[in-house]
Amino acid sequence: MNQILLTLGFGLVTAAILSLSAVAFTLEYAVTNVANLSHGEILTIGAYAAYLVHRSTGNAFLAALGAAAAGGVVAVAMHITVIDRFVRRGVGTMPTFIATLGISFVIQNVLVIIFGAANVAYTIPQGDPHQVGPFLWTSVEEEIIISALAITAVLYVIITHTKFGKALRAVFQNRDLARVTGINVRLVGAATWFLAGLVAGYAGFILAESVGTFNPYFGFSFFLITLTATVAGGLGKPFSTMAGALIVGIVLEFTGGYISASYELAFAFAILAIIILVRPRGLFTNAGRAIFE
Amino acid sequence: MIQYLVSILTEGAIFGIMALGLNVIWGWSGDFDLAYYGYVALGAYMTLVLTIGQPTPPAEYVLGLQLPYLVALAGAVVSSALMGLIVGLIALRHLRGIYFSIVTLGAVYVLYVIAGQYVPLFDGYNGLFGLFNPMGDALGLDYQSYPYFFLGFCLFIFILVFIFMARVSGSRFGLALRSLREDERAAAAFGRDIYQLKLKAYVLGAAFGGLAGGLFAAYLSAFNPSAWSPIEAIILYSAILVGGKGNIKGVVLGVVVMAMVVQESTRYLNDVPGLPIAFLLSLREIVIGAVLVLFLRFRPQGLLPERRYVDRLPQDRVDPGGGTLLSRGLAAFNRRFRPARDRDRRSTRAVSPLPAPEAAVDPPLPALEVTADVPVSRPLAQERPGVPTSVSAALVVEGLYKHFGGVVAVDRCSFRAQKGQVTGLIGPNGAGKSTAIDLISGFKLADAGTVFFEGTAIQGLPPHRISRLGLIRTFQTPREWPGLTVLENVLLARWDPEREALWRSLIGPGLTQRSTSKSELGRAREILAEFGLDKLVNERAGNLSGGQKRLVEFARIRMAEPQLVILDEPMGGVNPVLGERMAMAIEGFIASGTSVIIVEHNLPFIERVAHQVIVMSQGAVIATGPFESLRSNQSVIDAYLGEVPL
Repeated sequence: MNQILLTLGFGLVTAAILSLSAVAFTLEYAVTNVANLSHGEILTIGAYAAYLVHRSTGNAFLAALGAAAAGGVVAVAMHITVIDRFVRRGVGTMPTFIATLGISFVIQNVLVIIFGAANVAYTIPQGDPHQVGPFLWTSVEEEIIISALAITAVLYVIITHTKFGKALRAVFQNRDLARVTGINVRLVGAATWFLAGLVAGYAGFILAESVGTFNPYFGFSFFLITLTATVAGGLGKPFSTMAGALIVGIVLEFTGGYISASYELAFAFAILAIIILVRPRGLFTNAGRAIFE
Repeated sequence: MIQYLVSILTEGAIFGIMALGLNVIWGWSGDFDLAYYGYVALGAYMTLVLTIGQPTPPAEYVLGLQLPYLVALAGAVVSSALMGLIVGLIALRHLRGIYFSIVTLGAVYVLYVIAGQYVPLFDGYNGLFGLFNPMGDALGLDYQSYPYFFLGFCLFIFILVFIFMARVSGSRFGLALRSLREDERAAAAFGRDIYQLKLKAYVLGAAFGGLAGGLFAAYLSAFNPSAWSPIEAIILYSAILVGGKGNIKGVVLGVVVMAMVVQESTRYLNDVPGLPIAFLLSLREIVIGAVLVLFLRFRPQGLLPERRYVDRLPQDRVDPGGGTLLSRGLAAFNRRFRPARDRDRRSTRAVSPLPAPEAAVDPPLPALEVTADVPVSRPLAQERPGVPTSVSAALVVEGLYKHFGGVVAVDRCSFRAQKGQVTGLIGPNGAGKSTAIDLISGFKLADAGTVFFEGTAIQGLPPHRISRLGLIRTFQTPREWPGLTVLENVLLARWDPEREALWRSLIGPGLTQRSTSKSELGRAREILAEFGLDKLVNERAGNLSGGQKRLVEFARIRMAEPQLVILDEPMGGVNPVLGERMAMAIEGFIASGTSVIIVEHNLPFIERVAHQVIVMSQGAVIATGPFESLRSNQSVIDAYLGEVPL
């Protein structure tokens, strides 16, 4: 029983990081209809930014802000320089999707040139584990969970209770219709990517913090798990995505803890394959299975 | 220097085979497959475990059979094809677009993780080694002459693969694959089993990936997880994209440009002092990623765009797509960079405007000959008053039912359509007409009800099976295959399993097929002339106007000669002149033995062409009969005038 609770506790930490990464990914998708394969690199850049800020200031809070800011800037840059141009040109979903893979390749290798391919150790004193309810968490893990909940709450308010959130949802539903009703689709797109970048950059920071080391490829491998969580929840739907992340995070921690951690990625995709075969549009959406429906 | 040249040529030949294999999946079938490099890797692993000896501890791996290299190569092809089959069976069943890509990305990572972590399989991260100069000993080659032999061997296989791909590219199989890439629904509506076809292409591509992997293993003489990464497929993608997706010559050009020039030119940066080697490797990958993005944005068709079959008409011997490679390239270059205004003018000239009424009457159209006894202006329904009551039903629909969530779209709908007649299906928006068509043609699954077509129960059958039985449908928006020419669009309307088989593309058409193709080509030209599209045979269907696309759709039906055609709002967005032409075409269908069901909002048009009219409202049939009888029908009037509770 104790073992299960312990694993569940770890699972919640993973799920918290995963849900931030996944919600950012899904927001990017929602406004542009592009599954951003270079999403992982926003996390990586967040981690490097946090590391640099932390090293020069020694302040974890500033490091977190630095990570978020860097993520936001990179995401907006991606949107303005490539994504928006592709979307506006109407080149279709697939070419844009493929282009994001190219962006991912470029960013990874720029980071390799700047920082080298070796792992960077990012050790933060984790604090002693202590009992929180039934779980055993360190203070860093506690911070991760609390901040993830807080960010979720803020996102919820933004998406459901602001004019910007309304515009965002309108663009997701029907881009052209949103435009003819006077919504500045490009501005909403850029703003949403900035918001997603902030969240993803911060997710990169807490991921680096909890893993302890990272390298230029670190975001991409976490992105693969993010992808599983997002598709499991439902691409483009922020809160379904977060629920998907919760499930995938916990399941991964259990399979990792009870079977083997080295197969984590394989398990993630096995879960994804099963989900996608049963419910191609995610666990929480009701859509037909046949191609033509 | 010579050794260096030999090694890059060998690498180039191997990359060429990989890229040609991937081109089947991406270039022709149109699926962005991220698992592809997994098939290459599996081929390499399998070749190694089949050729090297038993593992000496602490090394661990399966097999170790010491088979001859060529046998191992065959084993590599088979195992990659098998893995392709498994992944394809899962991923191609229901998934397309990014969902397909995500699942294939998952599949390759599962392979990567297992190859790296599960030591008993391929010795984990240590990987496999020990395949030195395969076939070299048997041929008595020393280590100096061996690279030349191996280059020759790789080039030989590359040429074989290229010839194979050239045949497939020009075959009906290749054309059918492209129709999937262009529009799957239309492909299914004309009898293509899209799942099976896509699966064939996928397995074929994977098999070539395995072949290239087997050669790669011999070239490297070792293989391990640090020798590959799933994302390496991006190099192949950039090569295909740069060269020209779907064009095998382009793919080879792309391999030369990307895999050889970009890879190799970065080597000379070594001479620049002070640059670390990691910088060069990264720079190369940055170039590859950037090239991918830039080409997608500015030249998605690549340096050598896919060429389509150009039909040389007797009166038009000038081949617009002909000429040398260079002149074609220059022409394409000029087209691209011509000022926009000029370009516009050119395109309007190329796509001739719809024939004016006089023009439509002026040249004797073959269509008129078929229905010459039917005065054009008089309704067909009046022309054939005595349709025998004994005619059998072409289609009988009974109790068809379909709901989406809480909305009942089709509610116990029953009707029949007689053979040799035009049956109009009308009703206000939301009456369930289009859903009913989708249910009948198999594009949606009914919750309940039966559909008999020519006496056979067809409900529950997939669209291509229904189409092969002789029931073909059209769609509300024209679904042409935009990247194929008008002529190809019409030719592909006839589904011919014999000629579309993959093995046919290997041995070439037989004598009987050659004559079928010839007569078929003649028939297609004839039909296109009938519809006034003869000037546009070589135009890509996507460049036509909306009305012309409708005509292409009608021409396809003429070509397919089904027993029954269901036309879904053919008059949508069509001008009156064209409407007249369509009415004539419908008469032509009847004359050639094709019964017609037509869904339409244009009631005068229905009155003009239909013998029988079925009125639907709220998912059910509320009235049937000749058009005149419905004028006085109160429930029909109510339905149209909005007496329906919303």
